[in-house]
Amino acid sequence: MPCGGQGRCGRCAVIVQDGTGVRRRSTLRLTSDDLDAGYALACQTVVEGDAVVTIPPQEKIERRLVTDKTATQVTLPFIYDPVQHQPMHLVPVELDPPDMVDQTDDWSRLKRAVATTSDVSDLTADLPTLRRLGTVLREHNWGATAVVEMDTWDRPNGSHRLVDLLPPGSTDHLWGAAVDIGTTTVSLYLVDLLTGEIAAKAAEYNGQIKRGEDVISRIIYASSRSSRNSDGLGELGSLVVGTINELLERAARRAKISSSEVYKMTVAGNSTMIHLFLGLPPSSIRLEPFVTAINHPPPVRAGELGVNVHPQASVDCLPGVASYVGADISAGVIGSRMCDSSALTLFLDVGTNGEMVLGDCDWLISCACSAGPAFEGAGVRDGMRATVGAIEEVWVNSETYEPTYRVIPNPKLEARGDPTPPRGLCGSGLISLLSEMFITGVIDKGGHPNFDLGSPHIRQGEHGPEYVIAWGDQTEHGRDIVITKVDIDNLVRAKAAIYAGFTVLAQSVGVDLSMVERVLVGGSFGQYINVEKAVQIGLLPDLPWERFIFLGNTALQGALLAVLNREYRQQVSEAAQLMTYLELSADNTFYDAFTSALFLPHTDLTQFPSVAEVLADREGQSVT
Amino acid sequence: MPTIEVPKEKWSGKVREITLGATAADGGTRAKTVTVGGETTLPYLHFEGDIPHPPAIAIEVQDRKPADWSPVLLEAWGDVTEDPAAWAKAAEEAGADVVMLRFSLHDDLSAEYARETLRVVLDATGLPLIVFGPGQAELDNDLLVPVAEEGKGEKLVLGVCEDKNYRTIVAAALAHGHLVDARCPMDVNLSKQLNILISDMNLPLERVVMDPTTGALGYGMEYGYSVMERLRLAALQGDGMTQQPMLVTPGEEAWRAKEARTEEGVPEAWGDWAERAVNWETLTASALVESGADILVLRHPESVKRVRAMIDALMSN
Repeated sequence: MPCGGQGRCGRCAVIVQDGTGVRRRSTLRLTSDDLDAGYALACQTVVEGDAVVTIPPQEKIERRLVTDKTATQVTLPFIYDPVQHQPMHLVPVELDPPDMVDQTDDWSRLKRAVATTSDVSDLTADLPTLRRLGTVLREHNWGATAVVEMDTWDRPNGSHRLVDLLPPGSTDHLWGAAVDIGTTTVSLYLVDLLTGEIAAKAAEYNGQIKRGEDVISRIIYASSRSSRNSDGLGELGSLVVGTINELLERAARRAKISSSEVYKMTVAGNSTMIHLFLGLPPSSIRLEPFVTAINHPPPVRAGELGVNVHPQASVDCLPGVASYVGADISAGVIGSRMCDSSALTLFLDVGTNGEMVLGDCDWLISCACSAGPAFEGAGVRDGMRATVGAIEEVWVNSETYEPTYRVIPNPKLEARGDPTPPRGLCGSGLISLLSEMFITGVIDKGGHPNFDLGSPHIRQGEHGPEYVIAWGDQTEHGRDIVITKVDIDNLVRAKAAIYAGFTVLAQSVGVDLSMVERVLVGGSFGQYINVEKAVQIGLLPDLPWERFIFLGNTALQGALLAVLNREYRQQVSEAAQLMTYLELSADNTFYDAFTSALFLPHTDLTQFPSVAEVLADREGQSVT
Repeated sequence: MPTIEVPKEKWSGKVREITLGATAADGGTRAKTVTVGGETTLPYLHFEGDIPHPPAIAIEVQDRKPADWSPVLLEAWGDVTEDPAAWAKAAEEAGADVVMLRFSLHDDLSAEYARETLRVVLDATGLPLIVFGPGQAELDNDLLVPVAEEGKGEKLVLGVCEDKNYRTIVAAALAHGHLVDARCPMDVNLSKQLNILISDMNLPLERVVMDPTTGALGYGMEYGYSVMERLRLAALQGDGMTQQPMLVTPGEEAWRAKEARTEEGVPEAWGDWAERAVNWETLTASALVESGADILVLRHPESVKRVRAMIDALMSN
C-alpha cells in the first residue's frame, strides 16, 4: 500500500456490491462516478455489517488512476481539406517541349503550365530554384511537380511562389513541420500537408540551456561581448537551429524521408526564443520599457536561418503579444480553443516561463512570470525529462516515510516482465513527490525536512538536508536519487510564481478564482501532471478537479493548426491582437502574491479548502 | 460651531493577549506578570477601540560584560555589567517591565552555564524574563533547551525561532510551558508563515510573540515600520495568523548605527556623543511604538525613561 493506508494513493480501491454495511471515512481519491459504481477505498472503509466486496484486478485500478492525467489526443477541430485550408500545393505540370517555333524560355513555359492547372498566373521563384529549373525539366521529359506556396500571412492575396520543382510523380506527400521553441524544451511535429496526419513527433532539450536556464540569462548572454564570447547572439542562434535540425533529422528518419522534403515550417515560441532563432538582438526585451524588436516577423527562407528543411521553404514565426507573452501563448490560445467558449477560462502555459491568459470568447488578458525550469526536470539535482527511466509518480508512506514510485518503463524490460531502474525524476514525479512529502510531514509547510521523524531517507547531504527516493542499488546509475532542500526551494519558487501570476491576473479584472469555469493547462509537462498533487502543493487553484483540462503542449498544437490551416493562422494573429497584456513588474502586487505563495500550499490556507481537509484528516489520524 | 463626526473603523480582528511570566499562583516564581496585546484598533486611536495594555519595555542584560558595546552604554550601567544578576536587578530599578537575558558568544557556553546563569537572574529579579541565545542556530538550541528545563513554569519567552530553526525551541517551550519569539526578516508573509509553522507544532498562539525585525533610524526603520503597520492591519482585519503581539529590538539596532556607536570621524555638528546615541535609540523606539510594537527591548536607562514617558502620554488619553 504505497500511501500506508492513508487513503491517498487509491491503490486499494474495491467495489462494494451492497453498500449498506460499510461506512466510507474518506473518499478523497474517488470521483463521484467511482462512488456511483460502488468503489470504496479499503483502507478508509469501516465494515459495520454484511457487505459483498469485489477486488478488481490491479491493472484495472492502475489504468483508472492513469487516465485522469492523460492528455487529450491531438484532434483537429476541423475536417482537413488541403485544397481549401492549405496554402502549400503540389501542382503536377506537363510542358510542351520548346522547339524552333516556340522559343519561349523555360520559366515562362513553366508559368504557363502552372497557370493552366492552378490559375496562378503570376508565379515567382527564388534564384536557387530558377537555377535548377532547366535541368529538372529536361531530365524528366518536360514533366514535373511544382511545389507552390499560394499565400502567406503577410501576403494573403497570393505570394504565388515556386518553392521547388520536383520530378513528375516523385512524391505523394507534401511535408510540413510545426515547431515549439521552449526555453527548456524544443518540440516538433512532422506533418503531411496533404492529409493533415502527423507522421512523427520529437522533443529535446533546447541546446541553448548550457548558456543560461532562463530567458533573462539568454538575453544577457546574447547581448554581452567578451573575448571568450564575441558573438553570443550568433552562438545562441546556431544552438537552437542545431536542436531543431536534430529533431528534424530524428522525425524524418522515423517517417523515412529526408528533412529537405519539408516545404513549410511554422514556429511558436516565446518572444526571446523567436528573437534568438531569427538572430534579432533581444536586449530591449529585458530593459524598461520592455519592447521587442518585432512581434510579428514576416516569413523567412529556411536557408537563411540554416534550418535543414528545404532551403526555399518559408519559416513562419507566429506572432507574440509582448516581450513576455510570446507566440507560444497566441498559438496556445488557439491550440487550447479557449476563445471558442463564453465560459470564463484560465489558460496556463507552465514552462520555464509561466504564461497565463484569463478570458473568454470576448476578452483576453495575459501576463507572464518566470518560473524557472524545475518542472521540466532541469535545475533540480536528479531532475530529468519525462522519458524512459524517469520517476513519474511517488507515494510516501505516512507511518514509515518510505517512498514507493512508478518509473516510465523501458518497453523492452517491460516485455520481459523486468522493472525499469530509475534514472531521475521528471516534472510530474517532482510534483507528486513534493506533495507527498508535504502531506506526510516529511517536510513542513516551509519545505524544511523534519529530522525528528528519524527516517533514514531524511539525511544531511553534501548540499544540506535531502530526502532519498531511491537507493543506489535500485537505480540505473548506481547513485542515490534524492531531492535536496535546494531543489525543494526551486520547486516552491516555481509554483509560487505561477500561482501568484494568475491570482494577480484575476485580481486585476476583479474576478474571483472560484468563478473560473475551466482551467486549461498547457506546457510541455502539462499532459502528465496530477491535479490533486498540483493543488496540494499550491501550484493550481483549489477548484473541483473536473474543471481542469490538460492539453499538453498547446503552443505546438497551435503551431500545428497554423501550419495546416490558413484560417487558424489568421486566428493566431487575431488572438495576439486581442490580448491585453498585464505587466507584473509595474508594481509590487505580484511580489506580495509571490511571497505569500512561497509556502505549502499557501500562506492563506483558506484558499485551499481541500488541502486543509486532507491536513486535518492527517492530524486526526496521527492523534488516534 | 459645526460638530465634526470622527469616522470610526469597526475592526473584526483583535491582537492576542499574551502574558509573560508566571507568579507562584501559576506555577512560577515571578513577583508580577506582564500582559501585552489585546488591541482592537490601530495604535493609540483610543476613541475607536481598545488598547488594554501599554507596550512593555524590556531591558537587555547580557550573561557577561559585552565586548562590543559602546562605552556610552557601559558607563551608564557601571559595574553591574560584570554580573548578570546585579545587572538584572539594576534593570528592574531602571524601570523595566521585563528583563531580557541574552547569551553572548564565547567559549564558556554550556548547558550547565546556561542553567546557572538563568538561575541567578531569576533569583535576582521578580520580573518576567525573555531569554535569547547568541543567535547561531545550533548554539541557541543547545542553550535554550536547558534554559527551558531550568526555568520550567516561569513562562519565559525563548528566542529566537526562525523558519530554518524553530523546531527544537518550540518543542522545548511546549514541554516546559514557555513562550517563543518568532523572528522573520521584515516581511508580512514570512511572519505569517512562521506563525503557521509554529502553531502546526501545536504550540498555542497565546504563547507566541512575533518579531518582525527592525532597522535603526536611518538604517531601514521605515521599511520595518511599514511591515509592522501591515501586520497590524491584517490582524485587525481578522487574519488569525498575524494577531501576535510584536516584539522589537530597537536598542540593539540603534546601538549598531554609526551615529550611536562612535565618536571618531564624525562631523562636529553631530554634537554630544552620549546625547546623540540616546536620541538615536529613543527615536527608533518611539517610531516603533507608533507602528504598534508591544514589547520594546532597550539598552540605555535614559532611553527607557524617555520611551516610558512617551508611552504614558499616549496611553493617558
